Amino acid sequence: MRPMPDADPVSVLYVDPDDDARLETATDLEVSPLVDASVETCATIDEAVDILESTAIDCLVTEHDLPDGAGLELVEWIRDNQPDLSCILYTNATPDAIRTAAFGSVVVEYLPKEIPDSVTALARLISNVVSQRSQLAYPIPETEDERLAAIERYDVTDLEAAETVDRLSDLVASHFDVAVAFAGIVDAHEERFLACKGADWEQLDREDTICTYTLLEDDHMIVENVQSDGRFADVDVLEELDIRSYAGVPLKTPDGLPIGALCLIHDEPRSYTDSEIEDLRKFADELMEQLELRRRLRETERAVPKPDHQGAR
Amino acid sequence: MTTKLTEAYVFERLPLEPIPAGTNLLVTGPPHGRTQDLLYELLAGGEGEGMLFVTTDDDGITVAETYEGLGHTFDPGRMCLIDASQHGQDAEDAPIRHVGSPSDLTGIGMEFSSLYESLRGSGLAQIRVGLSSISTLLVYAEDFRAVYRFLHTITSRIRTAEGLGVFSVDPDAVEDEAFATIAQTFDARLDVREDETGAEVRIRGLDDQPTGWQSL
Repeated sequence: MRPMPDADPVSVLYVDPDDDARLETATDLEVSPLVDASVETCATIDEAVDILESTAIDCLVTEHDLPDGAGLELVEWIRDNQPDLSCILYTNATPDAIRTAAFGSVVVEYLPKEIPDSVTALARLISNVVSQRSQLAYPIPETEDERLAAIERYDVTDLEAAETVDRLSDLVASHFDVAVAFAGIVDAHEERFLACKGADWEQLDREDTICTYTLLEDDHMIVENVQSDGRFADVDVLEELDIRSYAGVPLKTPDGLPIGALCLIHDEPRSYTDSEIEDLRKFADELMEQLELRRRLRETERAVPKPDHQGAR
Repeated sequence: MTTKLTEAYVFERLPLEPIPAGTNLLVTGPPHGRTQDLLYELLAGGEGEGMLFVTTDDDGITVAETYEGLGHTFDPGRMCLIDASQHGQDAEDAPIRHVGSPSDLTGIGMEFSSLYESLRGSGLAQIRVGLSSISTLLVYAEDFRAVYRFLHTITSRIRTAEGLGVFSVDPDAVEDEAFATIAQTFDARLDVREDETGAEVRIRGLDDQPTGWQSL
């Protein structure tokens, strides 16, 4: 796995009820040469949730004993709401003194505060956890950074593109005898549904989606029975949305970067013939070509200044 | 990857060439028996190396005894165990940390981080980490994602700290797609097979290693 591009600093939220510790640790982290961090601080779970809901945070560092609950309660909120966020418990409490049984699935990094030079160790840990994306609950493509950069080049929210994707999804849904057909873009942490025929899904956490795995496939991903595949059987949201079978083809840029998937969902287990998969691939190629042409058109428009923009660069 | 500061890990008693620091190995085979023995042989390092073992099936004392039964010395000064077997007891001389259940991945992970740091803090540059077994974690866990996040967290720490990770799994006990996804997170794979005549091991995914099945 490759590190993230080093353009932006890592945004850290540091939660500690002790005023002195908070100020000192935040200052030390911000000047540490081991990590390029910008640090926000607060003292309670409530304040932390407010910050997390309004600010993009890459890494949470929290004490265990907080005035309104345990640090792991905050991590649990994060796994429910922003599951990809890296979380580090940074505390004097030893692991055996922390009640973990009720939080068995949240998984955090742990670093004792009372070791020599602990802020250096913390800075190094933040840098490693964030650059390795080590708390993700799913595999990512080797080209993840390039892939995310590519998504930004396709302005898929543009109105005309949206109409095209809608139209194509309608065609796909009527071509195959399935409950739902959709095109989705898989962002860093969510899948956004560009068009969705047969349901009104807007977005899902990436860790809940099957498309996350489709990105890793060269050609296609078929899950005939979602509830009997060990990776997805216990993902509640899939069952709630009646996703019982799945067929998806990755949407790839001309240089092979997967940005999303075109998919068929059915409300009971089913299989697909080779020619059906071939048709789905053709629809996906068509969609990708539309997106690519729009991207090139926009690029050309940008390169050639319009008359009323003369003089402007 | 930058140049390794830590030396490669050496295996005195196994038909394997040294393995670079920071490598995570998946050991596949039937549970217990020779698979478990192989795991212990992979973990047996020299005097200057630390060892940390997570057990979900056998209790900690059984692990220490089995390890010694293979002719190794369980040295509490540089070796420790995390017992998540649900039937562990405290031992007088073995450093064993207890976690209530294999489903408590958070608890296992925190004990792991804590012990790993203290082994490193005591000046041990090379640390071998074992876990037996992923199959049991999957049985107990709330869902696959939690186990994936747990394995990803631990293997990343072993990679960045230039340790050696050996994790066992019984492929017959894990659903195929889940197994394939887990296998992809490891750098290399050691397969164990055994019959009446003996046991064999095969390593795949690393350069400069023997090819094909080697007898144990």
